[in-house]
Amino acid sequence: MTLGRPTRSIEWDARTSGASRYVADVVLPGTLVARVLRSPHPHARILSIDVQATGRMPGVAAVLTAADLPDRLYKHEGGRLSDRRPLARDVVRFVGEEVAVVAAETVAQAAAALGVIRVRYQPLPAVTTVAAALANGAARLHDRASGANVSLVIDRAYGDVEAGRRAAAVTATGRYRFGRQAHACMEPNGTLARWDPRTSRLELWTSTQSPYFVREEVARILGLDLGQVIVREVAVGGGFGSKSKITDHEVLAGALAVRTGRPVRLVLSREEEFATTKCRHDFDVELTTGMNGDGQLTHREARILVDNGAYNHSGASVTGAAVAAVASWYRTRGGVHVRATLVDTNKHPGGQFRGYGHPQIAFAIESQMDELADARGLDPIDFRILNAHRPGDVTQAGWRLHSAQLVECLEAVRDAIGWREKRARRGSGRGVGAAVAMHVSGARTYEDANRAEATIDVRADGEVRVRFGGADPGTGQKTVIAQVAAEELGVALSRITVVTMDSDETPFDLGSWSSRGTVMSAHAVGTAARSAARRLRELAADKLGVPVEHVSLRDGHAVAGDLRIAIEDLVTGLGGELSVTEAAVVDTELVNFATGVADISPAYAFAAHAVEVEVDRATGEVHVLDVVAAHDCGAAINPTAVESQIVGGVVMGLGAALGEQLLYEAGRLVNPAYLHYALPRAADVPPIRTMLLGHPDPHSPYGVKGVGEISMVPVAPAVANAVAHAVGVRIRELPITPDKVLGALRARDGRRRRYHVWRRPGRWWIGSMRWAYPRGVHALLNRWGTRPASAAPPTPIASLERPTAVAEAVDALGRDREAAPVGGGTDLLPLIEQGLGRPRTLVDLGGVAELARIRETDAGDLQVGVGVTLADLARWPRVDPVLRRVVTSIASPQIREMATVGGNLCQAKRCWFYRNGFPCYKRSGATAPCYAVLGDNRYYHAVLGAHRCQAVTPSDLATALVALDATIQIAGRAGERVLPVARLYSGPGETTLRAGEIVTRVVVPAAARHRVSAFEKIRLWEGDFAVVSACASLDIADGVVRDARVVLGAVAPTPYRARAVERHLLRRRLDPDTIAAAAEAWVGAAHPLAGNEWKVDAACGLLQRCLDACRVSHGA
Amino acid sequence: MRATLTVNGRLIGVVIEPDDRLLDVLRDRLGLLGTKQACGRGECGACTVLVGGRPVMSCLVLAARVDHVETIEGLRDEARGLREAFADAGAFQCGFCTPGQIVRGVALLRDGLPADDQALRREISGNICRCTGYSGIVRALRLAEHDRPGSRR
Repeated sequence: MTLGRPTRSIEWDARTSGASRYVADVVLPGTLVARVLRSPHPHARILSIDVQATGRMPGVAAVLTAADLPDRLYKHEGGRLSDRRPLARDVVRFVGEEVAVVAAETVAQAAAALGVIRVRYQPLPAVTTVAAALANGAARLHDRASGANVSLVIDRAYGDVEAGRRAAAVTATGRYRFGRQAHACMEPNGTLARWDPRTSRLELWTSTQSPYFVREEVARILGLDLGQVIVREVAVGGGFGSKSKITDHEVLAGALAVRTGRPVRLVLSREEEFATTKCRHDFDVELTTGMNGDGQLTHREARILVDNGAYNHSGASVTGAAVAAVASWYRTRGGVHVRATLVDTNKHPGGQFRGYGHPQIAFAIESQMDELADARGLDPIDFRILNAHRPGDVTQAGWRLHSAQLVECLEAVRDAIGWREKRARRGSGRGVGAAVAMHVSGARTYEDANRAEATIDVRADGEVRVRFGGADPGTGQKTVIAQVAAEELGVALSRITVVTMDSDETPFDLGSWSSRGTVMSAHAVGTAARSAARRLRELAADKLGVPVEHVSLRDGHAVAGDLRIAIEDLVTGLGGELSVTEAAVVDTELVNFATGVADISPAYAFAAHAVEVEVDRATGEVHVLDVVAAHDCGAAINPTAVESQIVGGVVMGLGAALGEQLLYEAGRLVNPAYLHYALPRAADVPPIRTMLLGHPDPHSPYGVKGVGEISMVPVAPAVANAVAHAVGVRIRELPITPDKVLGALRARDGRRRRYHVWRRPGRWWIGSMRWAYPRGVHALLNRWGTRPASAAPPTPIASLERPTAVAEAVDALGRDREAAPVGGGTDLLPLIEQGLGRPRTLVDLGGVAELARIRETDAGDLQVGVGVTLADLARWPRVDPVLRRVVTSIASPQIREMATVGGNLCQAKRCWFYRNGFPCYKRSGATAPCYAVLGDNRYYHAVLGAHRCQAVTPSDLATALVALDATIQIAGRAGERVLPVARLYSGPGETTLRAGEIVTRVVVPAAARHRVSAFEKIRLWEGDFAVVSACASLDIADGVVRDARVVLGAVAPTPYRARAVERHLLRRRLDPDTIAAAAEAWVGAAHPLAGNEWKVDAACGLLQRCLDACRVSHGA
Repeated sequence: MRATLTVNGRLIGVVIEPDDRLLDVLRDRLGLLGTKQACGRGECGACTVLVGGRPVMSCLVLAARVDHVETIEGLRDEARGLREAFADAGAFQCGFCTPGQIVRGVALLRDGLPADDQALRREISGNICRCTGYSGIVRALRLAEHDRPGSRR
């Protein structure tokens, strides 16, 4: 039998062959496509909505506004906490809030219809940060009982805090910030709805973790009976909380289906996923922890500010969960006091997200544990073991720990990471850190959350079917369910069919959230299966004429001694099917909102993680070398699935620790794209070592404890602790990106650079504009100088020309002013979608054979046609190693197979304001501001030479080709010309190409190819655009530099030839001292922005690394 | 305009517009729903197919420029070993990125996996997975590598 053994997912064949059907894959004839019209303002009154013009648009079947829906609020957490409508009525409270929804025959028609809906807004003052929301006189989002923009306050004291304070010998105090992240599930939110007017039933195929809540909310809001709303089974592509309970599209799709009488599919775009759906709640935690002379924790005091966003969703519940966690973490002898305030802001709301407040408070608590240990010279793991819960403990929040193997987890990771030996190397640049977590296995936050039902059908045709009402968004419940049923019924796993989600077919369950999935499904299915097994044994006993005690179920048969009968043969007399439904309950207390004390979970899981990092002190980059994750998750029904959950959670935790952040500019999300969101790719994380320690929990069915969320919780503080150990600075705000590390190191070491702008007349104008921007200029330009982005969708491309010769291509471009050349299309197509280009004709250069040639001339020059793909260039046998290195750092293998050399060189700037639709100077004209002056400019903007636009040229190839003295050939109507690559650029991602010209060939001269060259790049994730890049190409003879080219990328509007560095190197020995001095020689030209001064230091560090690589290469 | 292209080994005629994306032609015109859209901008790899044997982002490929494409459906048999390895190694959870991972994996196996694990991870860094943390995928590729006929042992 399979319980406790690694088991393949029962859906493996469908999942791995593309046969699983997600919402977008369900095909119903006549399906309409829906799109949502969203508020462009963070806070505004809706004066009027005029949808009349949509009536004349082709293919439009329906348009709905709030006036078309019953005036009801989503229930969410109920009572006074309900505050949100499916479509905004009278007021919009965040950028992206739903104002209207359209159903049409095609995507293009729906988008066009959105473009003609006229909404008149009266913008209101907006409060987009917690600080602004709490300031005196701040604009109010709602009428809240707790105060202006305060949705909720939880102020709880557990135990005797004062006694704890008195007993404390040492206290540590700190402020810890854990910002917003996105779930970023691979499958976007979506619903397909179909209304049957004959039966008056609404069917929903929806990507959800919890059909129960979807059904309940949709029925309530649309005024239907529960029985009229049927959720159907679909594959669900990830949840992590984003699809836990109702989201923002199910009601809209349902309403449109009812209105039109046709199936309607509403699937969010990736941009909508990032910018408008629930996200991680941002926590600002001020924490104090005390410790007595024996190293025991005496008290904990926390002041937490939770950024709710514009509506409540699950804010109250996340806040409450966090408070209970603060009270429960470790044995704390005196007491715990927490004051948590849930603050409304004009941003899309926070919501359920893996960990549910625990990652945020764990970051604070676990960071501070190390700070406390440090104050007294205690080993951080010993300190934690001393204060860890033991089995039998009851936490301050009333959690009864029937099993608790936290100590074993800590000991396991201590050994596995090599703690003792590695802790001795403090401050070496390599460090280890650890942290712990505890988590519920399904919290009883609803009356019925401790109850689940399951149905077992044994059919005469041999099928054994389990029916369960929850959903499996990838967490593996369907397989667990099958394993449990197979075990209890004595049948092979392959005979079990599992049906989930379907409202007609499945009994009661609240869904997959709060790490309850396995506990509740195993319990319910086990209970039903045992009941069915008992019935089968009774039937067999009767048929075989033996006592029921002699009958067992094995191999699909009922067996008594030598007698056996197939179980399907037992049910023929029952009309062909035995169907048994049972309810199972776990023994827990309902959450107590008044006291915050209740034993809300059947069992509590524990985990300890240890991380080893290497910190580059010159650039601030943090590399994770090793992670060990020890989990007390009780029994593991399917270790394959459990380990996969742990590794996935750890990697998500690494993302939160090191890169993931949602960034806002006046309430609007700046980075709503995977391209601009630093979640880990495969090369960004090491293999994760997992250790499952848990013995079965005595209080939990099957001894199981939850694992889905806890695996994310300890990671970020473990990383912060490791960084502190490695380089001696404590970062208290996530994510730990290189700017924070370098900034902390610089502050500690007292280093300060001066740029002497007052001595550089060429920079006075820019300097004074940057001074004036926050003093009114930005506000003025933003308010009066921008044109709203055009709402019209991209114009279709009318024709695709496919020339076979350069002359033909030039001709095609010359004839049609609205023609654009296309290489791989990897930049052009996104640009069109981003509203940055509207070509009507594409001239496909892929068929021009001469553009796809690479060759070496007899003289040794390298000639690369612009049509050569990046992948082909990297694969060419005689490609220069430095070019291979540059190319393989770009984007992804797939993009490299498509993107061309020419396309890479000519690609447009990648500034996230520009690309993501902010009406900036480059988009909107000379009267518009540059959003990067005051907005987030830490990573991708210039530190040198910028004028009105702060963006950089994104091409890494350009950086290297400039260093290699490459030239580029250009063909046009007027003939051919040649430019040094450096002169190809007039501005960031802007070329000097004239109308109708194309680049044709890049030539790298032999002399350059004989030099020693190296390329280095700082980026936030594997394949990212450069944050800083450097290419050095040196002619070295006997250790002395005879000629030098040094180019910095991503620091200036165009590739920056660092001539001061070159001059410093000439005629000198290339040794570490020369390199160190040379790497700084360019700094006098820098003029960084408020947020990116760290890039000057990082660039110096990168230059050192690059020049050092040349030195080593030469020596080799 | 009318075009013919070879899809999973079969020559198919289909009407396409100049700006039709390959992803949409595969899914909407040809009913091949295994290839997924997760971002529509070539940033995540969920839509990976093989064009001319090379892995590409089908959401950024203009169908009019394609002669020969292989999708997850067509690679089902060739990828059998890899698919079983995915199942054994816990290399998928929600499964939404999985078709793209498998297709990309097939191309890698055809070329031969890099010997170095970090190099292998870079080769699959164009396929985002939010569920598994990638360890299982790497393990699955190594398992499949050893099972291939004629592979190095």
